[in-house]
Amino acid sequence: MISDLTGRRTLITGAAAGIGTACAELFAKQGAKVLVTDVDTAGAERLAAELGEGHGSATLDVTQADQWQTAVAAAEEQLGGLDVLVNNAGIEIGAPLTETEEADFDRLMRINVTGTFLGIKASVPLLAASGSGSIVNMSSVAGLGGAPLLGAYCASKGAVVRLSEVAAIELRAANIRVNAVCPAFIDTAMVDRLVSPFEAAVGMPFGEVLKLKQGRIGEVSEVAEMVAFLASEDSSFTTGSHYVLDGGLEASLL
Amino acid sequence: MSGELEGRVALVTGAGQGIGAACADALAAEGATVVRTDLTGGDITLDVRDEGAIAKAVDQVVEQHGKLDIAVANAGVAFVKPLAQVTFDEWRNLMSINLDGVFLTAREAARVMVPQGSGSIINMASISGLKGSPLIGTYAAAKAGVVSISRTLGLELRDFGIRVNAVCPGFADTEMVRSHMDELTEAIGMPAEEVIGAKQGRLGTAEEIAKLVTFLASDRSRFSTSEAFVLDGGATGALV
Repeated sequence: MISDLTGRRTLITGAAAGIGTACAELFAKQGAKVLVTDVDTAGAERLAAELGEGHGSATLDVTQADQWQTAVAAAEEQLGGLDVLVNNAGIEIGAPLTETEEADFDRLMRINVTGTFLGIKASVPLLAASGSGSIVNMSSVAGLGGAPLLGAYCASKGAVVRLSEVAAIELRAANIRVNAVCPAFIDTAMVDRLVSPFEAAVGMPFGEVLKLKQGRIGEVSEVAEMVAFLASEDSSFTTGSHYVLDGGLEASLL
Repeated sequence: MSGELEGRVALVTGAGQGIGAACADALAAEGATVVRTDLTGGDITLDVRDEGAIAKAVDQVVEQHGKLDIAVANAGVAFVKPLAQVTFDEWRNLMSINLDGVFLTAREAARVMVPQGSGSIINMASISGLKGSPLIGTYAAAKAGVVSISRTLGLELRDFGIRVNAVCPGFADTEMVRSHMDELTEAIGMPAEEVIGAKQGRLGTAEEIAKLVTFLASDRSRFSTSEAFVLDGGATGALV
C-alpha cells in the first residue's frame, strides 16, 4: 500500500484549518490514528469528531512548553504513543520588513520556529519509543529564497529547514527521521490574506504571478500527500531533507 | 495492493540491476506496464549513448503500448579517480552515458509526452551532484548536470502537463557502490563504509530509492516539478 500509515500514531499541530486539516484527513484515511491539536480547541474537537473513532484532540498553543507536555501526554493516553509528529502550526506577516513591528516579528518567530523546536523536544521520548519515528516540519519555499513582504515568514521558514537538518543528525540514533516540506502558494486562508498586499507590492495580478511562477495554485491535499509520504516507511532513507512542491517556482532562474 | 499506477506505461533505462531494477519492479508492483532497457537483456537492448537507439526504443514503447506515461532515466556508470588525473577519454565516456544518456532519454520521452499532454520524467542524479565530491568528480559533474537538466526541462514542459524531477540518493547498497568500496577505502585512507556511515547512518537500499521514484511517478506528487529530491540519511544537510 502507498504511503501506508496504518496504526501510525500522529500528532498534528495547527490542524483545525488549511494544510493541517488536509493532513489530518489524509492520515486518517491512510490508517493513522490522529491527535488533532490547535489553539482553536473547538475546531480541533470538531475535526477529531469528524475523523471518528480512534482519533482525539487537544488544545495546543505551540509556543507554550507546558501545553506541549499536556498534548504529548494526551497522545500517549488517547493514541497509546507517538510515531509521527507534524509540526504544521504557523502564521504569516505580509508587510515590508521596515513596517513590521518588533512584537509581531517576535510572535511569528515564537510560533513558527520556537513552536517547532518545542514540539521536537517534547515529542522525542515517545517518538524514540516508536522505533520508526518521523517528524515532518512545515517549511515553505519561502524558507529557500526571498519574497517581498514575507521577510519574517521567510526567515522563520529558513530556520525550520536548518532545524530539521540538525534534528535529523541528532535523532538518527533514535531512529527518528526529520524532514521539512516546502510548498509554494497553496489555496488556503493564509494565502488569501496575502493576495492584496502582494499585488500592491509586485504590481501584477496574483493570478498572473501564480501562472508565471508555479503554473497554478497548489492544493492542500497535495501538501498532505507529501507529508504522508515522509511520515510513512516509504521514505525510510529520507532524513534531513526538505521536499519541495511548488510547480517549479524555486527552480527557476527567472 | 493499491495499484496506483494501473494503466500507466513506464520506461526504465539501466533496469538490468541495482536501482534501475528496483525502480522497474516497484513501478510494476503498482500496476504499471514497465519496459526495461539495458545494455544486455531487458525488454529492449539499449545503449543510452546512442541517440537513434533511444528514439527507436521510445517509439517501440509507444507502438506496443500506445503511450508513455513514466520515463526513468537511470542508466549510469561510475569510477573512482581524482579529477585532476582523469583523462579526457574517461571524462567523455562517463559523460556520454550519465549526462548525454539522461538528456537523450528525457528529450525522447518528452517528444511523445508533449502531444499526450501528460507524463512524469524522473532522472537519476545523486547527492554527489550537489556537493564537492572528492574521488568521484566526473560522476558528480554529470549528476550536477542531471539536476540542471531536470530543473530546466520541468519548467519548459510544465504547460504541457509534464513533470520532470531528479532523485538524489546517497550511497546505496548496490553493485556500483560495492564494487568501488575498496578503491575508495584506499584513496581515502580510511574504511569507506565507515566514512559513509558517519555521514548518512547507513547505506540506502535500491528499494528505498525505488519508493521515492514511485512517489514521483504517481499523482501523489502532482505539484512537484523541476525539483531534486534527496534521500541520503541526512548526509547532505550535515556540515560535519
